[in-house]
Amino acid sequence: MRLSTLEFYIRETLLSLRRNSLMSLASISTVALSFLILGLFVLLVINLNHLADTLEAQVEIAAFLDSELAEEEIGRIAREIKALPGVKESEFVSREEALERLRRQFGERQDLLDSVEEMNPLRHSFEIKAVEADQVKVVAQEVAKIEGVAEVKYRQEVVERLFSLTRSIRIAGLVLVVLLLMATVFLISNTIRLTVFARRREIGIMKLVGATDWFIRWPFILEGILLGLLGTLVAVLILSRLYDWVVTSIYSSLPFIPVLSPEGIMQPLTLLLLGLGFLVGAFGSLLSLRRFLRV
Amino acid sequence: MSKSYTDKDEIRVALEWGLEWGVKDMIKLCNVSKVYPNGNVALQDISIEIEKGEFVFFVGPSGAGKSTLAKLLLREELPSSGEILVNGVNIAKLKRHQIPYYRRGIGVVFQDFRLLPDKTVYENVAFAMRVVEAPRREILRQVPAVLHLVVLAHKSRSMPSQLSGGEQQRVGLARAIVNNPPVLLADEPTGNLDPETSWEIMRLLVEINRRGTTVIMATHARDIVDAMKKRVVALEGGRVVRDEKQGTYSCEETKSLEEREIGGLRKGFGLL
Ligand SMILES: Nc1ncnc2c1ncn2[C@@H]1O[C@H](COP(=O)(O)OP(=O)(O)OP(=O)(O)O)[C@@H](O)[C@H]1O
Ligand SMILES: [Mg+2]
Repeated sequence: MRLSTLEFYIRETLLSLRRNSLMSLASISTVALSFLILGLFVLLVINLNHLADTLEAQVEIAAFLDSELAEEEIGRIAREIKALPGVKESEFVSREEALERLRRQFGERQDLLDSVEEMNPLRHSFEIKAVEADQVKVVAQEVAKIEGVAEVKYRQEVVERLFSLTRSIRIAGLVLVVLLLMATVFLISNTIRLTVFARRREIGIMKLVGATDWFIRWPFILEGILLGLLGTLVAVLILSRLYDWVVTSIYSSLPFIPVLSPEGIMQPLTLLLLGLGFLVGAFGSLLSLRRFLRV
Repeated sequence: MSKSYTDKDEIRVALEWGLEWGVKDMIKLCNVSKVYPNGNVALQDISIEIEKGEFVFFVGPSGAGKSTLAKLLLREELPSSGEILVNGVNIAKLKRHQIPYYRRGIGVVFQDFRLLPDKTVYENVAFAMRVVEAPRREILRQVPAVLHLVVLAHKSRSMPSQLSGGEQQRVGLARAIVNNPPVLLADEPTGNLDPETSWEIMRLLVEINRRGTTVIMATHARDIVDAMKKRVVALEGGRVVRDEKQGTYSCEETKSLEEREIGGLRKGFGLL
């Protein structure tokens, strides 16, 4: 391709954008809106995953032991637990330590515990973490089978609900994203179709003076790509402002909710969205050119 | 007037098809008929031969098939039967990607000018060169020269809407010849013009023809045709009813002759 041809394409593309400024603006806004929703969605899913990961790390299985156990028995149980597949770590909590924790939780009202001080009713236990949260149930069942383990408790419901929630959000998200992308492709292809229509005279003349098909197509493809990229750019700008604001407000008012910092995710997200915007634009215009640019 | 081939693709097309514009620039229609999909019969069994450098009028009443003939030559439409041979090549057999290169050999002028309303006179003419990816320096040389030829150099910055009909048609003419095509095809170029402006256009067509370009013009204007004393092909109801050259050639004979010449041409290229 000659440099002067490229220059010609760019001039034609800009001219066409300006000539159909209202329509271009409409499609840029819609692309922006779609990608904004898409971006918000990605951020939500990433953060939910992060939340799930954090919670996963906190999820513990508590295995309470029989009351009268010798030291070596406890050692054997510790080894057996460690040997189970899916166990990330396990920690022995003696009954004295358990009482100590209880004390800390009661804070001011130590008096309530005074009576139990003499004959500690608590049991020795192991606090076990699974490698992955969806293994918690299996691990708990295995631990319960170990001899000397009296009872096993874990936060089954919380874990399972969180997981079914993230799963359904991921699926819903995927469906939504696919629908949005399709809508965006459709929109861009429609815009390009209208531009092709608006310039049919010019296209006819180009054909008559011997323009090749690709020479005619390029400005439209560039236009589609430009629409896609501009829309995405707007979305990315809004998105990064919005996310900055959300993160700052959460940090200051709800610090215990783990959110990912903007620095880490906005850059790859921006690249991802721009790449997607490029593809959506190119695909959208190719789609309409295939259907509407026949001789 | 022949164009130098800088484009590889163009050379390839020329080699594959022997379609080297400027070699002989012979157009031949053999028993061409055109029936539109809706059943309209536009042309019936037309046989015509046009040689390089000729000036040919196609005349006939409305609906005679003049514009259909132009569309066939431009390969906008395909004949329903018969063959159109250009330099011995059946243009119906051109592949889609070869058509643009074929069209570059034919400059076209229309009754309704078909200028781009939002481009200046200069840009309208330069457009035809940009489309064929002519080098910038050639555009800078050629466009002013052609505008000078059609006496519009002083209006190169005007918009088409600021021009008279005759001036607009001169822009159309400039655009048609700016790439130096061996053939100029004009479909009722004076149809929208008054007699005096029409003669301006005719003078230009004669000048272009004098420089070696084959000119094919479809028209209603009897007075022009009568005054010009050029070859006239009269159509009526899709048939040739008069052609001074008719009978001086036969399709079959010349076809085989043509093929032999093309074979030689191919060999010539092969040696290069
Ligand atoms: N696209 C088309 N589809 C169907 N029929 C067509 C089409 N174009 C032309 N025709 C028919 O073919 C015949 C020849 O039309 P054509 O336009 O070639 O005539 P013409 O000689 O150019 O007439 P005019 O002098 O009015 O321009 C007419 O009967 C016309 O109705
Ligand atoms: Mg006509």
